[in-house]
Amino acid sequence: MLISLKALQLELPAVAKPALKDLCEIIASLGFPVDGVEQGLEGPVLDVDITANRGDVMSHRGLARDLAAKLGQDLSPVELDPLEEGEALVSVRLEADACSLYATAVLALGAVQSTPPEVRAFLTSLGSSPKDLAAVDASNELLHRYGQPTHAFDADKLQGGIVVRWAKVGEKVVTLDGVERELGGTDLVIADDSGAIALAGLMGGESTKVTADTRRVLLESAWFEPRVVRAMARRHGLHTDASHRFGRGADPGMARIARDLLAARLKRWAWASVEGAWTEGSGPIPRAAISLTKELLQRVAGEPLPLDDAAVKLRNLGCGVEENQVSLRAVPPTWRHDLAIPEDLAEEVLRLRGYDLIPSSLPPMKSDPEPLSSAYRQRLSLSRRLAALGFHQTVTLGFISPEADARFATTPPEGRTIGNPLGYEYSVLRSSLLPSLVHAAESNLRQGAREVRLFEIAPTFHATPDGPEERSTLGIVWAGETGGQDPLTPQGPAHPAALQGVLAALGSSDAQCEVRSLEGGILVAELCIGSIPAEAERVIPTFQGFSRFPAAERDLSLVVPLDLPFRRLAEAIQRALMGTPLQSLTCVDIYRGKGLPEGRQAWLLRLTFQGDRTFTGVEVDGWVGSALEAARSLKAELRG
Amino acid sequence: MDALDLSLLPQEIVVANERFPAELAACSDLDALNRLKGVYTGREGSFAVKLMEKLKSAPKERKRDLGAAINSLKSTWEEALKAKQVDLEGMKKSLEAAKNLWDTTLPPPVPPMGALHPLDRLMARLVEVFRPLGYHVEEGPEVETEEHNFDGLNIPEDHSARGTADTFYLAAHPQLLLRTHTSPVQVRVLKRLATELEKRNGIRFLAPGRVYRKDEIDPTHSPMFHQVEGMLVGKGIGMHHLKGTLAYAMKALFGEGADVRFRPSYFPFVEPGSEMDVRCPLCGGAGCRVCKGSGWVEILGAGLIHPNVLRFAGIDPDIWSGFAFGMGVERTAMMVSQTPDLRLFFENDQRFLKLMGGLD
Ligand SMILES: [Zn+2]
Repeated sequence: MLISLKALQLELPAVAKPALKDLCEIIASLGFPVDGVEQGLEGPVLDVDITANRGDVMSHRGLARDLAAKLGQDLSPVELDPLEEGEALVSVRLEADACSLYATAVLALGAVQSTPPEVRAFLTSLGSSPKDLAAVDASNELLHRYGQPTHAFDADKLQGGIVVRWAKVGEKVVTLDGVERELGGTDLVIADDSGAIALAGLMGGESTKVTADTRRVLLESAWFEPRVVRAMARRHGLHTDASHRFGRGADPGMARIARDLLAARLKRWAWASVEGAWTEGSGPIPRAAISLTKELLQRVAGEPLPLDDAAVKLRNLGCGVEENQVSLRAVPPTWRHDLAIPEDLAEEVLRLRGYDLIPSSLPPMKSDPEPLSSAYRQRLSLSRRLAALGFHQTVTLGFISPEADARFATTPPEGRTIGNPLGYEYSVLRSSLLPSLVHAAESNLRQGAREVRLFEIAPTFHATPDGPEERSTLGIVWAGETGGQDPLTPQGPAHPAALQGVLAALGSSDAQCEVRSLEGGILVAELCIGSIPAEAERVIPTFQGFSRFPAAERDLSLVVPLDLPFRRLAEAIQRALMGTPLQSLTCVDIYRGKGLPEGRQAWLLRLTFQGDRTFTGVEVDGWVGSALEAARSLKAELRG
Repeated sequence: MDALDLSLLPQEIVVANERFPAELAACSDLDALNRLKGVYTGREGSFAVKLMEKLKSAPKERKRDLGAAINSLKSTWEEALKAKQVDLEGMKKSLEAAKNLWDTTLPPPVPPMGALHPLDRLMARLVEVFRPLGYHVEEGPEVETEEHNFDGLNIPEDHSARGTADTFYLAAHPQLLLRTHTSPVQVRVLKRLATELEKRNGIRFLAPGRVYRKDEIDPTHSPMFHQVEGMLVGKGIGMHHLKGTLAYAMKALFGEGADVRFRPSYFPFVEPGSEMDVRCPLCGGAGCRVCKGSGWVEILGAGLIHPNVLRFAGIDPDIWSGFAFGMGVERTAMMVSQTPDLRLFFENDQRFLKLMGGLD
């Protein structure tokens, strides 16, 4: 909200004292940070951030009132020339309880009218352009100065009496912005015999609008139920200065005062004469008293605070306060709709004292501590291991386009689409991390990266009848050329087996290590975190014995058919060597070059035997012989 | 022994012997040396063999002297050849050693190094900061119910945050939404522990995670971002405890010199409510673009848990009280790092990740 320093000073002369920067600090210390200061025609204009619960601060008078309480200074008196109320000139009926107060007056305007230059300047500095219609400019000025929205109808355009009622379904009104709005039963309207003529608390209507030709005006200064105004503003997408203030709760005590101020301005600016003034309704039910015990105040404040001092602060804010030794009772003023519970009062006391005076101490360590969950620790340790293995952690959006999703999804997107997405390309909760990772990898390659290694750990979404189920998932992508950056590491494209090795290093068993090779040599893998064995709960696992006897290592050079999978050969040899101390069987070299028979390759197998004693050469030769025999059964031959 | 009487030897040998030192010196490798060895002391046709033949055929009375002369000559040759061999072998060894020597001025090959995402690092760091205070990590789903995301947090039924302009709802499940903050984790934890609070003397935890709001992507907005929520429930908890806790955390996070201030603010789920600012890291408080001239940057929202939040979870607010705070991870990361554009965190350019991340 924009606040003109000059206008603020009119309400509270004391704000002239502090330097502007200090004043901004004081305003911030009340809970309203100053987002910026612009130099306007009439001096500084402050952009003050008002919290959603404080409709009463949405005016110069409102902010001045909070500052006056904080500074212990007095507000300037409101120059008021109260109208004498009499008989209603036009019937005003309040049919809906969402409007419980309607102050009005009818005035005849003089032949000439002009808005005073200081008011024009005030409105301009707040970004609101003067219309040079006294009724409109005065109403606008009052809104910014005192926070009470008012409205002037062209009295001669009214047909019959005024009714504040719920709209009829299908009823229409053209609002001042020229839009025809279709109404429903939860819209509160001002109506005359012709039907709705204004949306209560939001905007007046075209049919009764004040123009340069208007000779008589009917003023409206009312109180509307905040909840109703908020709902209407949302429904019609019509957020106005008036709806912001009525929606957060206007001050019913201001209804008559604002009408009188408006009338006084019209008398001065447009030579108006009052034909009559009257008020319907008595306003909302006054707020109930709230009690605050010394004990609660001390608990919240962190130190014992004298109740009489708290009472002074609450009185400064306009509360009616009674106090005794152990508690106080405060009746909030008509403008404070946010005060309802004892904690609210405690906050007000602390707010006026300044939060910087609250002591600072750590709470006692009473509650039982808990270890970090194994799921959390597992994700953290997976991330750290992947980072150490050369992969970069990414963060991508949880929703993607249906096409991107379809590329890797195994199920249709039904059940995990967003009803109101930001756009089509963000409309599906992804069932795989790979579309986003591949996209990131491709864009890195386009940017000239030689090698891209990325991963993400995030939930993926899987439709169930009760809504999407979330699975913590790890996605990895590896693309581009690896190595070749130093004399010791040869260069080559990222190899699927190398990614498989990374997955194995993370503890994933073979069956789950599905590495896919996409177009452009992009390798991807995705696993459910739950399928990766978590680290043992015990910091150090149960002791397992290991052999201290020397291992016997034998290499077996075999010529095998090209189509023989290593696993088949390994299983055959392991079967044949069942019961022997075979520790490991690996392939340490593959040769597919010249000098081999057609359709053959050469494997160098390494067999390691280790056990609870040293083995004789004859024993080991026997085992290697059995291995060779098993290999021969699969058409493998000793390489000559 | 007598000096060598060369006059006893054939002229050919005398000449060879004179040439020997020069020929020996000319041997630059072991092959050349072996050839020279053959010529002088080899088993066949060498000068040594020729001398032995000469000795055999010499007259008896000259044999003794001649033999001594020959032996002396032979051993002179052999010793010189051997010494040269030791030299050459030594040279060969040191040459080979040089070949295997790594030039230590070459940049060493560095194993490929990845990085944790800066946002994840910051969240992990926050968990670390709060561990000594006894906080553990609680987590909840990203797809939430209105009950957990709004109702349980004292957010009025007509609050604009509930609208489809602010919050993503699922097409097939209109009652389900993408959580707009990590606060629903509070509601879940409080409901779960309501009956155990007495036994465990309260609860304290952090809830880091991803949240969603319907904001267009721009330099300061993203429809998905991260929050770290913290909550403590105990007996007699007040604003001073919140202040003490957060002041400790900011010092642990930003260093001893971290300066913070608390301002009143409003969130439906706390009362009193507060926002915490830290001294602007860019200008140190003098006022700049980042802090909009105020010298302070807002870093988190906090307050004492609203009695209605406790009541909703089945906890008696007359017995229990507590505080909660919530920090925007991106906002803090941008402030700390002075990263100019939020989108960089979601673009996943490896250059950015390498520079801004780290291994732990
Ligand atoms: Zn700054």
